[in-house]
Amino acid sequence: MEAAIARNLGSLGAFLPEIVLSAGVLALFLLDLVFRGEGRRGRLTWAFGIVLALAAAALAVTPSSPRGLFNGMVVQDGLGTFFKWLFLATAAYTAGIVVHSKEISRARLGEFYALLLAVLLGMDLMAVSGDLLMVYLSLELVSLVSYALAGFRKDDVRSAEASLKYVIYGGVASGIMLFGISYMYGLFGTTDLALLGPKIKAFSGEVFVAQTLGGATAAQLALVVAVMFVLAGVGYKMASVPWHMWCPDVYEGAPTPFTAFLSVGPKAAGFAVALRFFGVGFTEAAGGGLVNTATVPWPAIVGILAAITMTLGNITALGQTNLKRLLAYSSIAHAGYLLMGLAAASILGFQSVLVYLAVYLFMNLGAFLVVAIMAARTGGEDISAYRGLVRRAPFTAIAFTVFLFSLTGLPPLAGFTGKYLLFAALLQQGGSWYVALAIVGAINSAISLYYYLRIVKAMVLEPPAGAGGPIEVPRTYGALLAGSMAALLFFGLFWSPLYGASLRATQALFRG
Amino acid sequence: MIGRMLAGSSNPPGLPGGGRDGLVYEAKDLFGLGQLSDFLWYALAALTVGSAAGVAFSRNIIYSAFSLLGTFLGAAAMYVYLAAPFVAITQVLIYIGGVLVLILFAVMLTSRIRDVQISNGSLAPLPGALGLLACAGLLGYVGGSTPWHEVARPEMIDQAQALGDGFLSTYLLPFEAASVVLLATLVASVVIARRETDEEEAAGRSEAADRGGAGTPPGAVRAGGRAAHGPPATEEV
Amino acid sequence: MLHVGLAHFLAVGALLFALGAYCVTTRKNAVGILMGVELILNAANVNFVAFGHYSWGGIHGQVFALFVIVLAAAEAAVGLAIVLTLYRHYKTIDVTRAERLEG
Repeated sequence: MEAAIARNLGSLGAFLPEIVLSAGVLALFLLDLVFRGEGRRGRLTWAFGIVLALAAAALAVTPSSPRGLFNGMVVQDGLGTFFKWLFLATAAYTAGIVVHSKEISRARLGEFYALLLAVLLGMDLMAVSGDLLMVYLSLELVSLVSYALAGFRKDDVRSAEASLKYVIYGGVASGIMLFGISYMYGLFGTTDLALLGPKIKAFSGEVFVAQTLGGATAAQLALVVAVMFVLAGVGYKMASVPWHMWCPDVYEGAPTPFTAFLSVGPKAAGFAVALRFFGVGFTEAAGGGLVNTATVPWPAIVGILAAITMTLGNITALGQTNLKRLLAYSSIAHAGYLLMGLAAASILGFQSVLVYLAVYLFMNLGAFLVVAIMAARTGGEDISAYRGLVRRAPFTAIAFTVFLFSLTGLPPLAGFTGKYLLFAALLQQGGSWYVALAIVGAINSAISLYYYLRIVKAMVLEPPAGAGGPIEVPRTYGALLAGSMAALLFFGLFWSPLYGASLRATQALFRG
Repeated sequence: MIGRMLAGSSNPPGLPGGGRDGLVYEAKDLFGLGQLSDFLWYALAALTVGSAAGVAFSRNIIYSAFSLLGTFLGAAAMYVYLAAPFVAITQVLIYIGGVLVLILFAVMLTSRIRDVQISNGSLAPLPGALGLLACAGLLGYVGGSTPWHEVARPEMIDQAQALGDGFLSTYLLPFEAASVVLLATLVASVVIARRETDEEEAAGRSEAADRGGAGTPPGAVRAGGRAAHGPPATEEV
Repeated sequence: MLHVGLAHFLAVGALLFALGAYCVTTRKNAVGILMGVELILNAANVNFVAFGHYSWGGIHGQVFALFVIVLAAAEAAVGLAIVLTLYRHYKTIDVTRAERLEG
């Protein structure tokens, strides 16, 4: 016991960002009571920003050499650090959207920021969880608080219904995942991912031998059930089929700034868990590549899920007229593209997931920012409200076009870089299955071009609907739009920094 | 292990694996007592599963909620059988004392509005029942036939002390994380469930007025539900 | 045959899970679905404690079960809060229009 306590104490230093965030949650709860009156909105946003800045500073000084912390409950490595930066950026961007949003009333802004920090903490923990117990706890932290944040708009019954659906689907998904974890524990006697890896390998070897002798069906089935059930909880966070049903309703009902956050943060956190779960538990590095150590064909399972997810997302998106719903289905489709990288089960595949998530942050948050601007200024979330936007708010319209083209994956934008790496990872693997999956992905990208272009057409070619006066855009929003466009162009042309960072993060996963 | 896998796969489901022979023998030794505790277990398992069936099949949601009591109690009894009294007590205190009361609250409240429906994806009873059978069959087969690792003689450990030590040493981080979860969740629940104070309503109204001043009709700000159907925000909430 | 062992507990867990899954897939009532979730969580917990007792010894299974119980309580609290807000909306808004978000 003393040794365990000593290890806990020794881990504190490497845990600074999370400690800052926890303290920030408490601080914002208190500041919410202190700041009153007119300047409240700005002051609370500043406080939130300061917490993020402190967390970023703490993250910058925290080492990221691979080692286990808190008795293996969490790990410190490059992958976790990569995702933590991603989450911080998402939270900062969200705050930028919230600051002028009227959907989060001034009275409840403090609570919103504090709870957002709690979700951020949960996502950080998801990214570094080294034990399925921590995976479950941090996933629940993200989920439980997100349920409430989705229902934050009290004046709108859609928000309450969205919240209810979210809680129901979330509860089912985490329950199923938990049942899967119980089988993992029963099979291997541990839930520590680092220990699970060798045990799964040994177990699979025995299953393989026993199978050749004509037995071990139940043991094999137990592992398959466990993996599939764990995937349920993770897939729910990613919004991948068949755990995507909550996505459109929640995206539509939740306050737009939180929808923006939801479409990037928890999805990325789900992928962080999936990369670590499969990377540490089910693969090992051999001869410069990765091999699946388990008798479970998880790359094939993930690949099939990827194909179904993107096809369903894109096909359904074709018929949507509400922009938030359309972007929800587009976000499901993107979960499918990202799953392709996981299905490739190679270093490049894992890397491409990281790169795509980083790019996705800018383009999707940017797209939702435009939706937030339009909802606040014209009151419309429908595509008809975007008619003639290029004449009413040229800069916003151009920015939205850039984001949509990047979401499609057109060069020279960063979305193309991400997709290029995803497809490259598949083709590098070479088998006919992988080529088939890549073809499905390419067809899907073509389909998605259609509904993205429909929006662009409405903005550029169609005349403004009704009173089409110019739309005023706050300066913060203008800066965010410009910054996102710049990032997308930059990473589209010079993607080696992102590639290098993702390579370091991925290699860290397979070194320890 | 390979041998057990092969042997296990030939075992009929429900039969304990090979490692349990010693204990079976021991139970025969203590003939009356062993049998009695086993029969009691079957009765409790029937209570657990039967109540769960009541939860799943009952037409009346209130009966379902009360059936849940049987499931929770039965599960607590399972934990006692598994030499986990601390978990059993926690189950009674939190599940029955907390969760079940909350659920009953929710049932009583929503029964007045008949149904809080959620729309998509509910199955008809027949496909649902087929799914139920498939699911139970699959998991029953996996649970019964997998050659799970088994210790020769399950031991009784000093539960409360071992758990307390564990929570403050090995499981310190999850313990702290759980406390953050509880704090954030409870605040979140209060935030969405409470009525707003007059001051907040006033703030909301002034913000709505701001919006109106910015050249947009206030009713059009939320294009969906409220403007079309609902009362103004401040009247009800 | 009659002697209770690990497989018996796993069977209880499997049945609870299957019934819970049935409950969540067939029920339309939100609170009913939440009850199904509780069944699933209890199923997992029975598994955890049973594996802890019969398979691996130690307290890990029990610790897991305790965390699950705690989080289930938190989830029930959020669930009730959400049902309460909906209740407020529907008390004045027509109940028959309970479906605004569909498809």
